[in-house]
Amino acid sequence: MTPAGYVSTTVEIRYCSRVRRRRCASKGTTASMRAMRAVSIIATLLLLAANAFALLPVANAFQPYLSGGALALGLIVLVTIVAGRGPKGDTGRVAAEAALPAPVPTQASQAAVEVVSFLAVLQERGRLVDFLMDDINSHDDAQVGAAARVVHAGCKAALQEHFRICPVREEREGSTVQVAAGYPADEYRLLGRISGAAPFSGVLVHHGWKTDAVRLPRIVRSSTDRLPAIAPAEVELK
Amino acid sequence: MNARFSLGIDLGTSNSAIAVADLETDQTRIVEITQILGPNQLGETPTLASALYVPNRDEFPQGSFRLPWNDAGESAIVGQFARDHGALVPDRLVTSAKSWLSNLHIDPKQRILPWRSDIAEEKLSPLECSRRYLQHLKDAFLHAERAHGRDWDLSEGQIVVTVPASFDEVARSLTAEAAKDAGLGDVTLLEEPQAAFYAWTAQAGRRWRDLVAPGDIVLVCDVGGGTADFSLIAVTDVEGGLELERVSVGEHILLGGDNMDLSLAYVLRAKLEAAGKPLDSWQFLALVHAASKAKIIMFENGALSQAPIAVPSRGSSLLAGTVSTTLDRETLEQVVLDGFFARTSIGEVPRENRTGGLREFGLPYASDPVVSKHIAHFLARSLQNVRASDNLTALVGARAATEALSPTAVLFNGGVFKAAPIRARMLDLLASWNGGQTVRELQGFEPDLAVARGAAIYGRHRATGKGMRIKAGAARSYYIGLETSMPAIPGYKPPVKALCVVPQGMQEGTELLIEGREFGLVTGRAAEFRFFSSSVRSGDKPGQILPDAERDLEDTGLLEIEITALGDVPAGQVVPVRINTVVTELGVLELWMKHVNSDRRWKVEFQVRTE
Repeated sequence: MTPAGYVSTTVEIRYCSRVRRRRCASKGTTASMRAMRAVSIIATLLLLAANAFALLPVANAFQPYLSGGALALGLIVLVTIVAGRGPKGDTGRVAAEAALPAPVPTQASQAAVEVVSFLAVLQERGRLVDFLMDDINSHDDAQVGAAARVVHAGCKAALQEHFRICPVREEREGSTVQVAAGYPADEYRLLGRISGAAPFSGVLVHHGWKTDAVRLPRIVRSSTDRLPAIAPAEVELK
Repeated sequence: MNARFSLGIDLGTSNSAIAVADLETDQTRIVEITQILGPNQLGETPTLASALYVPNRDEFPQGSFRLPWNDAGESAIVGQFARDHGALVPDRLVTSAKSWLSNLHIDPKQRILPWRSDIAEEKLSPLECSRRYLQHLKDAFLHAERAHGRDWDLSEGQIVVTVPASFDEVARSLTAEAAKDAGLGDVTLLEEPQAAFYAWTAQAGRRWRDLVAPGDIVLVCDVGGGTADFSLIAVTDVEGGLELERVSVGEHILLGGDNMDLSLAYVLRAKLEAAGKPLDSWQFLALVHAASKAKIIMFENGALSQAPIAVPSRGSSLLAGTVSTTLDRETLEQVVLDGFFARTSIGEVPRENRTGGLREFGLPYASDPVVSKHIAHFLARSLQNVRASDNLTALVGARAATEALSPTAVLFNGGVFKAAPIRARMLDLLASWNGGQTVRELQGFEPDLAVARGAAIYGRHRATGKGMRIKAGAARSYYIGLETSMPAIPGYKPPVKALCVVPQGMQEGTELLIEGREFGLVTGRAAEFRFFSSSVRSGDKPGQILPDAERDLEDTGLLEIEITALGDVPAGQVVPVRINTVVTELGVLELWMKHVNSDRRWKVEFQVRTE
């Protein structure tokens, strides 16, 4: 299982242009870097989830654990990025980039607010945080499987609403594919014996995922400085 | 008016949508609606849930629900978040406000919603709710278009708001009033099934003229989330060209896809309870949602023999608390296909459930859930209506000779018909009523958005004077009640006679003077008349008198008029008047009392019914 998904360039460009139009009209590169940071965080989270769910045929008894593990990893990456004090070496390149210190603190917290808000969407729709924070070892596979269905249905709907996701390569995994000269490097990870120059020919191990459209809910900043809740405590009044 | 654009607004019972036709570029597109997705969260969706939530003062932080065009935010929230959050707090949620506009028992201007709620905040009237939806749609439209560099002025547009074909004049005029109050000005009203048909012709392009032929009777069958609405459109040949005429409209039926989801959820809940897994009310909502999803998946994929249903726990422990079951195909087909689209005969009509003398006030939900029977009933009523006039009888030709007016083609609309098996069942059913002959399906598209799109297209046709128009006119005939003057007989209530003042099919932009019947109205004193209508009496002529209104007609409300004393007409004087009927260019019916000896006239106001 690949820990870090594939982050496509197109996502970042699109998202940046949206962000710039919206609130960074006069601030050039720093603003777009911050925006890229935000999208990297979200994309990491998202693509981890996508990868995990893609590998979730019900028949396999180990799948709930596998997907649960992948999701947990995603959450760890996210938490370390947001907190900004995690072990950077462990979480890889994407996290290291994303954790660049932001020059203006209020802007940085806007990015954090956006990430928490999207996490709140995954919790609201697919109970993702409930699932990951639960103790998986004390439940049998049937229970894990039932809960995974809730997570799958809700998070998938949320993903499809907010992102347009498609494979990087349309070919069947296991088939031989050509990687053309001038291929976008971020969309491919070459494995095995790499020598010479593109085009390359090889076996498609994982078809990859990318997104070419991001539509996140827009966050209207509240007056409070603290981060919004991921899920509010629910109190029923009689 | 030199219109630059046409705006089509589908003010739906469960969901609303908007489409715009740009007359400069000749493009029609759906406008996505910016709305509140959560506290401090905004986003766009293709439709706006017609739901309104009245939050408690302390429920959310101040300023959580600001809109791009309204920084203060409204006192009530409209749209997706209102619907989803309100499902958990039903006391503060308003849904189906539109159906209250055509309610027989409640004044739609009274502050009654949320219905049966004890909230301390001020309640809203059904009219006010409709106004708020329309205002949100208007603001979202202007906002979205401005974001794309198109700064429209509403006065430069042709604005069309759709209403159910079953709406009577009182409900129609209330809709027009809500639109005016929402800042949309004087809007044109269009029946929803007609709008769906316009969308179909636009989608079929030039081909549409090949897909229907003279002699065709098209059933527009619209079953949405909460309501069902039917119309029949006849295709005729007039001097070598195709002409379309709407020949009948159905009654207002509160029955739709939500009923199907609920029925499935009840079956699944019984199954879970039998397995020792009871659900609380929150989980039941989640079950309804899951059942709806499973229904869609299984109808889309005929190979699936069952679909898993998982209902999450209420608390945070998802692993321990999730209960699961499965929905199998047999249950699905039994509940949805055989339950709602049963293979009934054309003679079977919906059963009325009026056992008690007192019916509880509230929305008059259909007491018979079988859609097939409601359609059969509609087709039988359509035949009755067509037979009542020589003109319509000639229009449908030999098809008028049967038991019901059986269509030759059908156009489906509304979310329910996204499911291919439901469409297939309906086609089967219609064929069985058509002596085994196939009824063609006119391929629709975007069942959730077609009405808005069709409305924008109709507006374009109106503004440019080009393009096909369905000949429609007034869907109903209207009558004024005349109290019979006869000596009182104990235990006998004299029948109310009715004077026909608007014939069915009366065209937009025409007016009538009812000759031969004068009323003497006293100045300075309000006069009230009972108001009746019928959608099955196409033959009645203006001025015609019916002997028993309560037997033959539907009670539609009250008319009120007060003639003010002025100048040569002093207070207390009797003024002789005649009734002057106008159907405006916008499709709104107006009644006037016209002075017999001068050109002076006074407008009659529709009063909503209260009992």
